[in-house]
This record gives sequence, C-alpha cells and structure tokens, in this order.
Amino acid sequence: MADVQPASAAVAVPEARRRLNPTLARYLSAFRTPKGMTGLAILLLLGLAALLAPVLFPGGYDRQGRASLTGMSADHIFGVDEYGRDIFVRSIYGLRIDLSLILTAVPLCMVIGTLLGLSGAISERLGAAVQRVLDVILGFPGLILGICLVAVLRPGWPALFLTILITGLPSTGRLARSAWLSQQNREYVLAARVLGVSRRQLLLRHVLPNAMDAIVVNGAVWMVVGVYIEAGLSIVGLGVQPPTPSLGVLLNNGLRFITQSSTYIVGPALLILLLAVGFGLVSDALNEAVNRR
Amino acid sequence: MTPADGRLHGGEPPVTSPTRPAAAGRPASPTAEDAPLLRVEGLRTEFRLKDGGVKAVNDVTFDIRPGEVVGIVGESGSGKSVTVRSIMRMLRPPGEVVAGSVRLDGEDLLTLPEKEMRRRRGSKVAMVFQDPQAALNPVMTVGDQIVEAMTVHGVGRKAARERAIRLLEQVGIPDVRAKIDQYPHQFSGGMRQRVVIAIALANDPTLLIADEPTTALDVTIQAQILRLLARLSSELGIAIAIITHDMGVVAELCTKVVVMYGGRTVEKGTVEQVFEHPRHPYTAALLAAMPRLDDDRLGRPLPAIPGAPPDPAALPAGCPFAPRCRFAEDACEQEPPAMLPIGDSGQEVACVVAHRDAETPIRDLPDPTQVPVPDGPATAASTADTVVLEVRDLKVDVGRRRGLLRRESSVYAVDGVSLSVQAGRTLGLVGESGCGKSTLSRSIVGITPIAGGSILVDGTDVSERREQNLARVRTSVQYLFQDPYASLNPRRTIRQSLAEALALTGVGGRDREAAARDLMAQVGLRAEHLDRYPHAFSGGQRQRIGIARALARRPRTLILDEPVSALDMSIQAQIINLLGRLQDELGLGYLFIAHDLSVVRHLSDTVAVMYLGRIVEYGDAAAVYGAPQHPYTAALLSSSPVPTVSARSRERIVLPGDLPSPANPPSGCRFRTRCPIGPLVHADRTICAEVEPQLTTTATGQRAACHFAGELASRP
Amino acid sequence: MIRFLTRKVPSVVFVLFAGSVVAFALPRLAPGNVAVTLAGENPTAANVAAIQRQLGLDRPLLVQYWDWISGLFRGDLGESYLLHRSVASVIGDRLESTVELAVLSTLLVILIGTVLGVLAGSTGRNWARATLDLAGSLFIAVPSFLIGVLLILVFGVLNRWLPVSGEVGFLHDPAIGIQYLTLPAFALALGPAAAVARLLQTEMRAAGNEEYVDLARSKGASASRVTIRHVLRNSVGTAVVAVGLQIGNLLAGAVVIEAIFNRNGLGQLVVSSVQTRDFTVLQVLILGVVFVAVICQILTEIVLAALDPRIKLGD
Repeated sequence: MADVQPASAAVAVPEARRRLNPTLARYLSAFRTPKGMTGLAILLLLGLAALLAPVLFPGGYDRQGRASLTGMSADHIFGVDEYGRDIFVRSIYGLRIDLSLILTAVPLCMVIGTLLGLSGAISERLGAAVQRVLDVILGFPGLILGICLVAVLRPGWPALFLTILITGLPSTGRLARSAWLSQQNREYVLAARVLGVSRRQLLLRHVLPNAMDAIVVNGAVWMVVGVYIEAGLSIVGLGVQPPTPSLGVLLNNGLRFITQSSTYIVGPALLILLLAVGFGLVSDALNEAVNRR
Repeated sequence: MTPADGRLHGGEPPVTSPTRPAAAGRPASPTAEDAPLLRVEGLRTEFRLKDGGVKAVNDVTFDIRPGEVVGIVGESGSGKSVTVRSIMRMLRPPGEVVAGSVRLDGEDLLTLPEKEMRRRRGSKVAMVFQDPQAALNPVMTVGDQIVEAMTVHGVGRKAARERAIRLLEQVGIPDVRAKIDQYPHQFSGGMRQRVVIAIALANDPTLLIADEPTTALDVTIQAQILRLLARLSSELGIAIAIITHDMGVVAELCTKVVVMYGGRTVEKGTVEQVFEHPRHPYTAALLAAMPRLDDDRLGRPLPAIPGAPPDPAALPAGCPFAPRCRFAEDACEQEPPAMLPIGDSGQEVACVVAHRDAETPIRDLPDPTQVPVPDGPATAASTADTVVLEVRDLKVDVGRRRGLLRRESSVYAVDGVSLSVQAGRTLGLVGESGCGKSTLSRSIVGITPIAGGSILVDGTDVSERREQNLARVRTSVQYLFQDPYASLNPRRTIRQSLAEALALTGVGGRDREAAARDLMAQVGLRAEHLDRYPHAFSGGQRQRIGIARALARRPRTLILDEPVSALDMSIQAQIINLLGRLQDELGLGYLFIAHDLSVVRHLSDTVAVMYLGRIVEYGDAAAVYGAPQHPYTAALLSSSPVPTVSARSRERIVLPGDLPSPANPPSGCRFRTRCPIGPLVHADRTICAEVEPQLTTTATGQRAACHFAGELASRP
Repeated sequence: MIRFLTRKVPSVVFVLFAGSVVAFALPRLAPGNVAVTLAGENPTAANVAAIQRQLGLDRPLLVQYWDWISGLFRGDLGESYLLHRSVASVIGDRLESTVELAVLSTLLVILIGTVLGVLAGSTGRNWARATLDLAGSLFIAVPSFLIGVLLILVFGVLNRWLPVSGEVGFLHDPAIGIQYLTLPAFALALGPAAAVARLLQTEMRAAGNEEYVDLARSKGASASRVTIRHVLRNSVGTAVVAVGLQIGNLLAGAVVIEAIFNRNGLGQLVVSSVQTRDFTVLQVLILGVVFVAVICQILTEIVLAALDPRIKLGD
C-alpha cells in the first residue's frame, strides 16, 4: 500500500530533527499531525500513481475499446469515453500534466515572488515600483490573464505554466514585501541593526525566516489554484489540446457528454477534489504548525 | 483626606448627581455603613483548557463598603483582572467561576439569570477599562455611546442625551455641545478615558470598578484622571474598586488595599496599615524593592525579590510566594495559608510566618539571605570626566513624505537638543510619550535619520557621512529596547543571538563560546540555557539576554530605552540592580530613557527633562529633583504617584490639557498652553507666547528654559 | 469626495493605461504578421492588405496606440474582421446575458456571505460554528466549475428540475429567464460568498474580543444589541472589501460558468475570440474587465469611508 509510506516517513522525523534548521523542523512537524499526515498520504498516493502511470498502464491513454460512453464498472472504474478509452487511465495521465504544471510553476513563482517582494531591500523606490507592477497584475482576474497569454502563445502547456506562474506572483510578492516592511520595524531587527549586522545578513537571518511561513503556506494554497486554473482554461477549450488528457480536458469532455453519460465527469472531478483536499490539508497543517508556539 | 483639590481646579464644575434623590440612603445612613456593598467570598475561577485547567483565581475574599475606594493590587498573572471579570460575569470562554459567591447589596450575582444580571450591569455596577484607545467603539459618536448606556436601561433618548451632556461636563470635557457628536478618534487618550468614566456614571451606579484606568496614560494625564476619580468618590459617595499594579496609585487614591499574588489574596487592610506595617513578606518585599522619588539608597542596590511571579498554569502547591520568600519554611510549601486577621484593627494576612511572629512586623525581621552590600564603589569618579556620547543641537524630522511630488512639511520630533553622557555616569532623559525622547535615542544609533546638528561618539563627530560612521557608532554605543518580548528574534537561540553580536566584535572560533558563557554569567543567567529559544524565558530573563547581547559589542555607552517599564514590579529592581552593577564594573555611560521618575532618580547622576522636542531642564539629579526650576519638571514630580501614605496630603500640580502636536508647536514657550505659572494663570505674561526661553543656569545650579524659572521650586 | 476622486485619478489612470498597453500589445506579441493574425484563421490576401492599411501597421507603434485609444474615447471600439461587424455591436449582443449573471451572482454573494458570516461570527454554539466552518471551507475550496457540474448533475440530469443549458433573457421573459439564471448564478456565487462569510466571521470574532465590546456589555446591553451595534457594525467594512475583491473573481469565473451552462455571454465571446484569434474584440473585452475591476475598487473605498468615520476621503 502506498499510503503506509508517509506515516513511517513522518515518524522518522524526530530523530533527524535535532540537527535540522528550526524553521524546517517546524514545517516538518506539520506532517506529524493527523491533518498533515492525511494530506501528505493523499498527495503521495496521487503523485506515485502519476509517476508510475507508464509502468502501470503501459498501453498509454489512447488505447481504444469497443464500447463507448459506458458508466462505471469493475473493469473501468471511471467508465469509458466517447472513443471507448478508459477514463481512469486517462485521468491518471491527466494528473501527470497537472502535477508537472504546478510542481514546476508554483515553486518557481514562490522564489521569483519572494525576490520581487524583497526588492525593497535594495532600494525603497524599486520596491514600491515593483509593488505597483504586481498590483496591475492583481487587477487582472486570474483566468483573464491566462486568456491573454493563451491568445498570444496559443493554447498548451507553456501558456498554462506562465499563467500559473504570473498569477501567483502578486500574492507571494505582497507577502514578502509586507514581511519586509513589518519586520523592518520589529525591535529584534532594529536590535540587529544597532549591533551592526549588514543588510544582507539582516535579510537572510531575520527577515526571510519570518517571511517564509506565510509564503510556504501560500505556496501550498497556490498548488490548488494552479490545478483550478488549468481546469478552468481547459473547460473553455483553451488548455492542453486533445488528445492529450489533462484533468481539465477530461472535465470538458465529460461536460459535453453529460446527458449521455452522467458518470463520465465524476471520475476526473473526484480526482481534482482529492488533489484539492490533499493540498488543502497540507496547507492547513502547515499554517497551524507555523502558528503553534 | 483625598487628593482631590490641587491647583487649577478651575474649569471643572463639581460632580453632581441630578437623578439621585439626596436622601437615597447612602453613604450617610449608618445602617448602610455596616453592611458591605459588595462581598466577594471564596471566589474561584478556572480556565478549562485541553491540557488541564488554569486556576486563575483561588479563594478570593474581600468586601467593599459604600463610599470606600478599594485598591486591588497585583502583578501580571495575579488574577486581579479575572476577579473583576468574574464579579461582572464577563469572563471570556473558557473562563468559568467554579466556586464562591459575589453579593451585591446582599444579592448573589453569580446565581442570577443572565437577563437579570444584565440589568445590574451598568446600572448598579459599572466598569472603566484600561485602554481608552480600545474601550470606545470607533464607529459610534461618543454621545451615542453614553446615550446607549442609559437607553438599554429604559431611559428615553431625549432625556438620555440631556444627561449625556451634563455627564461630559462633569468629567471635564470642554466644549461639550460640539464634542458630543464627535467620534472617539477625535479625542485624546485622557479625554477618551473621561468619556469612558462618563459612560460608567450614566446610571448612577453604586459601585465603579476601574481596571487599570491610568496604566495606558501619561503621568500628567494620569494625575487628571486620578483626581477625577477621587472627586467622584468624595462628591458622589460612589464606591470604587480600582485594579492596579501601581502601589503609588493605591497609596494616592484608596482607603483600603487588597494585595493579590498567584491568584490569591495575600493581604488586606487599610492603606495606612498595609503601607506602614505590611504583614505579608510579599507586600513588605515589594514596597522595599520599589525605587522612590525620595530615595536615600542612591548608589546602592535595591533589595530585589529573587525569581519571577508564578505561572498561573503551574502554581506551587503551598503558598504561591514561598519559592521567592526569604522566610519560607517547610510548612509554607505544604498547603496555602489561610487569610486570617492579624492584630485587632481589621488587617488580614495569609502567611504562616507573619501570624507566628505577629508582634514583630515582617519588615523588621532579620533577613536570612541578605548579603552585606559594599558601599557604592568609587570607580566611577576616575572615569567621570570622559564624555563618551555627545549630542549637539540635534534635530530629527519625522514628517512623512508621500508620493513623488507632494512633500509634507517638516515635523521636528526632536528640535535642537544638546546633551552629553560621561563614562561611568548615567544621564536620565525624562518626558511623556510624544516628547521625542525615543526618537532622539533612535537617531543616535542610526535607526532614524537626523535632520541637523551633530552627534559625537568618543569625541569624534559621526553625523557626517552617516553610513560609514554608523559602524563606528555601533562599536561604541549599544541600545537596550523596552520590550523584552519583541527585541529577541523568536527563531534564534540565545547562543545564535549572542554569536551574531560577538562575530561583529571580532570574537571568533573557540573564544566565542567562552565569551558567550561569560556574558551569560555577567547578566546572571546560566550558560546551560544558551541553546534555548527566547520563549522559554520570562520577561526579566529576556531583558538580561538583551543586555548580554548589547554588552557583546563591548560598548562604552548603553542607551536604555525604558528598560524596566514592561516588566513586573517585583522584577524591576533585579534589572535596575544589574544595570547599576554593570556600570560600576565596566564604567559604562548610560543614557537612560524613562517616564517613571522614581526609576530615573535611582539610577541617574544627571537628568534632562524633555517636552515637545526640547529639553526644558537639565542638571544634577539631586538639584532637579530637589528644587525643580521649570514648571513642567515640578508638575511631573508632583504628578508621580508615591507609594507612601504620608505623601497623600501633599498639594498636587495637575496640568490641564494634553501635549500639543509637534507638527504645530505653540509659539514662544512650547509649554505655555499647559503651564501653571504661564499666561493661562497670569494674563500679563505675554512674553511666554512671544519669546522662546533658552536653557539658562539657575540659582540652584541646573539649567532651565523658562522665563520665570524657579517659581515652583519650593514645592516638595 | 471630489478631492478623493481627484486623488484617485493618477492610480486609476495608471492601471487603465497598463491594461490598455497589455490589450494593445496582445496581437502584436503573437507570433506572425499582425494583419494576418487579425484576419483570422483563413486570411485572404485582400483581407490582409485591407487590415494593414486600415490599422496603419506600417506607422510607428506609438501612433498606432494613439489611434486605437483615441478611437475608444470617441466610442469607436473598432471592427471585427472575422465577423465583419463593429466590435460595439458584437459586444452589445452579448452584454445582457453576462450582466444578468453578474448582477444576480453579486447579490447572492452579498446576501449569502453576510448571512452566513454573521451567523458563524456570532453564534456561541460550538456545533453550529463547526458546521458553518466546515461548509465554508468546503465552498471556498471547491471551484465554481465543480459546483456548476454538481448543480447540473443534481438539478438537470438526475432530476430534471431546471434547465442547464442555454438561456432566455430575463428582461424578455422574467419567469423563464430566472430559471435559466438560477443554477449558473449559484455556481458562480457560492465560492465567493463563502469567502466573504469567512472574512466577516473572522473579523467579527476578532471584534468580539475588543475592549469596546466589553464596555458595551458592562453597560448592560443585550447580546443581540452588542452583536449588531458593536461587533457587526465594526466588521461590515471587511465584508465590503471582501465583496469588492470577489467581483474580480466573479468576472473570471463567469467565463467558465458560461461555458458550462452554454450561455452566450461575453465570457463565451472572450473564449471564441481567442480561439478564432479575433483580437480586435478581445482587446476591448480585456480593457473592459480591467475598467470594471477599477470601478469596483473605487466604489469599495467610497463605501468603506462612509462606514468608518476614521477614514476621510481626501487625505
């Protein structure tokens, strides 16, 4: 069983903990709570399935059967689609696309957003200017921005990647900037300044660790938002193009055949929900862990 | 005797109570005199948490009689605020009264249905809260908030508004007709507290409970509010229970005292009894440890109480004070001692030792732990002439700049200040909030940019080319912050915090560990605790860590920004003693910033008094305290509550009004709008508004910036 | 008020300018010849040449931008080369559908958000609080398109109670129109409503711990009076800000919801103009979204200032 994995990993944490950086140790402590453990278990299960899809389903996502649009059955737990392809297999392959998107775009977004948000440390004018630009991005509702990008780049993985990356920048940047602004007036940062600590050290030792909490929690939330952006754009037909399946593409197809086979859409929708629940639990657990005394 | 009548009684009309018939029966009626108005008996309040209950209040018993002013005094965690919340039945969940009774006029409030209790709140018992900034609803006009207090008890809106106007006049709000329809943010802190008091008075309550009503206020504003409360008591005969941590406030205002410690009442009696003959070791030790305005212990350590107040979640099994008590015996740790009368004058105390030695007051018992203290070392004299920090005509502009084009006009929080700190000596810098004392000190270490003037560190001008010179400042001048909780990075161990400072001093490798251990020893902490995080320490311990971190840079000057005002009173003496000792050992020059004049008196050789960005008086501490030449200094000294009963009869100077805005300071003398000897009183003294007084040497040696310096000097 | 508006002008102009630059840049950033791009999927040489001439694509970019933007100010939104109609008429045809959806959703967000927020923020019962918390978390976490799918399955497929595809104008026939409008409006509104409720609830619980609430209780005011006059009154500002923020999400969500429920609104127009690369239409729509978002933000600030005497419009 794949979901035994996370539990044992979590138990192993305390021994290693003594040598760990306290910030990291706090994040890891999130996965020792029931919430964090369940979330991690779901995500690892989904992640493993996606990773091993070519091994588990060597036939690929395009193998066609004879029947089409049948409901759920023992052979095809999510049913088969209009071309007689197994929806479960297609969903797992779709998961690969979604995970490949968010697991690259969101971490990159966190890094770039943090750097942009902390640009105020170089000069206050630069920081304010960067914030202005981020505010303009924020003025575009997420999907609208995605639509603009799709219009320029044509639908596909790169457009989705950029959309997730760019829409996430304002919130990460704002968190980093507000941490920078508020930490600057904290007495322990002032105390470090009076000691003569350099700006760079001030950022690395005092500001960044205290800003990280909010950014990491926000990152976990954006993983879900990333999936939703992919699904939203795919539903209107501006996402990954068929026959490549993504969870959003499968939703799109399911909607088209919803009157013929009402169960078509259920499987992919459940997977999206499971993904959201997994990341939701993890971000919740992280949030509680960083706010714990 | 009440301290009600000071000078400048002027504009405020006498407090009257129009809605209450004159013969309502109290406090003049002799029968009512005997029965307590409020009787709290065996009160226990717990907070039920997941990991066990916290016993916040344990068996608290006291009475309040009509017309009395009772002080309930204790440190943080002593249970004093939870006690009043229990009385009002306004505990926040998960707080719960688990035993005891609260009788108001013989009726047990704890058993009343909530609806009945609601009718008592505000009409029979009313409350005044600590923070006037937070106690008023920001989106309701003050008039509506007073009116609401009456309409919820059935008074018509029109009548209520009429009364609200009278109430505001009574509590001393000027220009009521205009002010009544304003919002709280348009009022100053002191004025808001007057509004809160007006709300409390709205329904003529028989009992007023004030929870730290002056803690958030400045000394001169505190004096105004204390005088108002005293007038309410004497003119309306209202009974007042005042919750406070400040022994001076109790001595000033109260007739009776209830001392609380660790959730228990440990001593009670009249103010005279408790302040002159404290029977409980805690009360006695606390009174002895407090620095005083008239201190004769200068240059000597204060008799500090060791340790820290107990954590309400982990109270000792026996007497809560036993772990810190120098008289503690085995019996003290078995079970908490009962509250029993001592003597025959009504004083009560919960202490086994005090009861056994009832004849000798606990204060005079030989101290088994007392070590002889060497007399003030003379080391200071040899280094006294070296000026380690000097500020000349310093100006700091705190005016905000917004946008690219618009530039706000300058606001000088510090406007032409000169002072100097000598090695081994302490300069005390005194003033109320907003006078610019913190801005001044922060600009010295480069946190706030300066707009003019110069700063000299060890004789070198460092005000030019700030960035390069700041490095120089920081090797010589260090800073101790007020809030020990905020000034340590919660993510870094003590070792990391000290290592950061030591690395900057150039202490590396193996030496660093030894240096860190030495620093810990120097500030009285154990080296084993180096790997702990700040949250594992108490407030006093954190302040010691802050001191150790500052010392790691081997400074010659320490700027102490209110270093003890965030600490519990029983801890303050420990830190004051530590600072005194370090100065003697290391020959440090201190710039000591505080609003508490007694603490400043204890530590300072020289004192500078600041008002609205300027120094108004500057000189030898003994001269400034003994014969204040500037009327502001005289008023500050006179307004400071003193924890002795004998001080109650002194005549007080209570300044009217509030500190003006530094953005728009008054012309001429900045103090003239509140001055008790200026144009407010003497209309002919137009010079005060026309000519700005300069600091000039006065007859008693110190310098003062007043055209009529010395006029109030004779006042004690 | 006037001072506030004049003070706001620079930032509003900045955001609108940025939006217009993005919109203007879109067809020019896309790979290939702009005129070919604008001519649609199967351009004819004559078509391309005509567009080239009409837009003056050989002139400097600044001049092109100026021509476009000054055209917008004159009310000339341009011409769709694919549909051979003016952009204004294309948008006008679709406007009613989207406005109906947006208005009903916004009303639902305000109504559901405030009611749930106040309930969760003021109840003292733990189970009620926990239930509302759970429901709130669920609706915040589940995106509008999945709620839409669920509503379609329950009300349109498993039970045929309400129409799930297409539309009838509300103004044309209110009784039928509302039937077509109900499900999409709910799908669109539930998530943002839960977010509003959550913010309001958090704010109310925080306000409940304020000292002025204690003071009100110590006056003898009843629990409901304390909740309404003191706690809620000090928390509505947050709710207003939350609603203002959610309107942007509503607009974006409408694109997907229109697709799911087959409504021929502006959202579908955005999608189809991306698919057919009809940039003249898309440009105007993008700028329109930014414009609506800016207006919402200003309205939010005005309402906020009206609610809180500490905020003065103009400083």
